[in-house]
Amino acid sequence: MNGRWRVRYRCPGSGTIWKGSTGVTHEATEFPLHAPAPPTMVDGDRVNGLAYVDDQVFDAEMERIFCDGWVFVGHISEVPAPGDVVCRNLGGDPYLLIRGRDDEVRVLANRCSHRGTKLIQRPRDSVRSMQCIFHGWTFGLDGGLRGVTQPGGMVVDRADCDLARPGQVDTYRGFVFANLSGTAGSLDDHLGEGGRYLLDWACDLSPVGELDISAGWLGQRSTSNWKMWAESDLDGYHLGILHSSLWRAAPGSQYETAVFAGENVVTSTTRDRGNGHVELEFWRGYDRELAWLGVPRERVADYVADLTAARGPERAEELLWQGPPHALIFPNLFLGEMNLAIIEPVAAGATVHHHTPLTLAGVAPSFNQRVLRQSEAAMGPAGFLLPDDAAASERVQAAFGRTGGWMDISRGRDREVVEENGDIVGHVSDEVPNRGFWQRWHELMS
Amino acid sequence: MTDLEQVVLHHEVAQFLYLEARLADESRYDEWLALFDEQVTYWVPRGAATYDPTTTVSYINDNRTRLETRVRQLQTGVRWAQTPASVMRRAVTNIELLAVEGDELRVGSNLFIREYAAQAAEETRTWAGRVTHHLVRVDGALLIRAKTVELVDSEQSLPTLAFLL
Repeated sequence: MNGRWRVRYRCPGSGTIWKGSTGVTHEATEFPLHAPAPPTMVDGDRVNGLAYVDDQVFDAEMERIFCDGWVFVGHISEVPAPGDVVCRNLGGDPYLLIRGRDDEVRVLANRCSHRGTKLIQRPRDSVRSMQCIFHGWTFGLDGGLRGVTQPGGMVVDRADCDLARPGQVDTYRGFVFANLSGTAGSLDDHLGEGGRYLLDWACDLSPVGELDISAGWLGQRSTSNWKMWAESDLDGYHLGILHSSLWRAAPGSQYETAVFAGENVVTSTTRDRGNGHVELEFWRGYDRELAWLGVPRERVADYVADLTAARGPERAEELLWQGPPHALIFPNLFLGEMNLAIIEPVAAGATVHHHTPLTLAGVAPSFNQRVLRQSEAAMGPAGFLLPDDAAASERVQAAFGRTGGWMDISRGRDREVVEENGDIVGHVSDEVPNRGFWQRWHELMS
Repeated sequence: MTDLEQVVLHHEVAQFLYLEARLADESRYDEWLALFDEQVTYWVPRGAATYDPTTTVSYINDNRTRLETRVRQLQTGVRWAQTPASVMRRAVTNIELLAVEGDELRVGSNLFIREYAAQAAEETRTWAGRVTHHLVRVDGALLIRAKTVELVDSEQSLPTLAFLL
């Protein structure tokens, strides 16, 4: 943090105004004051509440994590045909995921290169080209400038007027990622073995190895910081407590044996796969195959047969037991069992948690209908789970107040195990994923 | 149907919708649920209610079983997204009998809610939408067989919607 904070605090001797960490602007006195020491945000297994409420921390995160690092944009199946386009905010700026006539899927700035008007307004659209409503400049599906109204007066070089693009865009198994600044290493390095394993796993559930993300997205707004969603999505400790209303109203879920059976009884685990990619392994505590789908094998016989033919009996049986992953691909993609979710930071105290059902290619419509039904039950502003997470995160945010205070994420530190490949594994209720997230955050922000 | 019969029916339907609104406002869950038929569909789509909810995601798409789960969850007292319950009042207006066929009615209305979300965010929120009720008369009493709420801002991300619309 030091470099960042030195840049952001203007020394009173060199200017007239400096800004305190709480965003309060102070007039400099005649006798220069020393700028306050930069607050420590991560101290061992403690996190400073200022990391959630401070506007300067938020701005620094947008630069260092969301611009200088890799972020998830969308899945190619969301834009199946040329001209199909979806809007995404990346690091606070509007972008498009769009399929061109050449069938290539691109990430483009959703901003006219002339005077900056937002080009595509609907969250999801299908277009032949993009014409700016303001002065009529027209762009092709590849972002190239195609037409300028009254071009005689144009001074700038047309070749410089294509829509802006992220510095790097790369795709893994249909998941599109962008690095806005272009300064990160490769996507491969960012995902690492752990991230690739998790994305492969989600795709492998489909007999044809592909997702079909086509059911649309819903967004849950919260007056809390984005990191709280990254934390609660990957927190096995709260599941039986915060969400007890659902387990009382609808008993018999797969989490009863996986999470609620008692601290010394459950066999499910948490896992830190490195680079901030962290996981809850509920499946280790399931008491039956297909617990995640809530049906016996006979009800999805075609799926079982197709999966077995595609993956071989051993891997197929493993997948039928495990179901989809429950993991965070740092920083903004949540593989949430029957859902894909995007954590969109809006401001220090405002976030949108978007989700869409994890629908698969190559399965019967009834299978995806079941996925959609489960997704609706869990997520969204009217879901049975997510609104309670929003309430908890909003209460945490409120309690940070002006001064922050400290958060403890040490749970299970003395019983976690480091495996041969470097993965850190703990009890399902332990804060292994939170520590993994914060370690990555700290690396990128330091 | 004579003009007088139309007026009487409109009055009866309006009284029914006002009762439903008051029970929802006051978190009187059992009484609210008792207004629904066994075959109920309770749908809060994203955008206009013109799509197939089996292939496109919705905020709420409840059958009777899921609606009962929703109510049971609220009644546990630890549904934290709605504990304490929102303080709210709603206006049901522009009530129109869109179709009347024997014991079945389709009714359109506009909905306007002011909600104080007391659980965490402590915000005051406004909700507005178009409501379509499919009502049936069973043993002389009206029941809701289907209810669709098209919120005006449902294409946007929404704050918590854990109360009963």
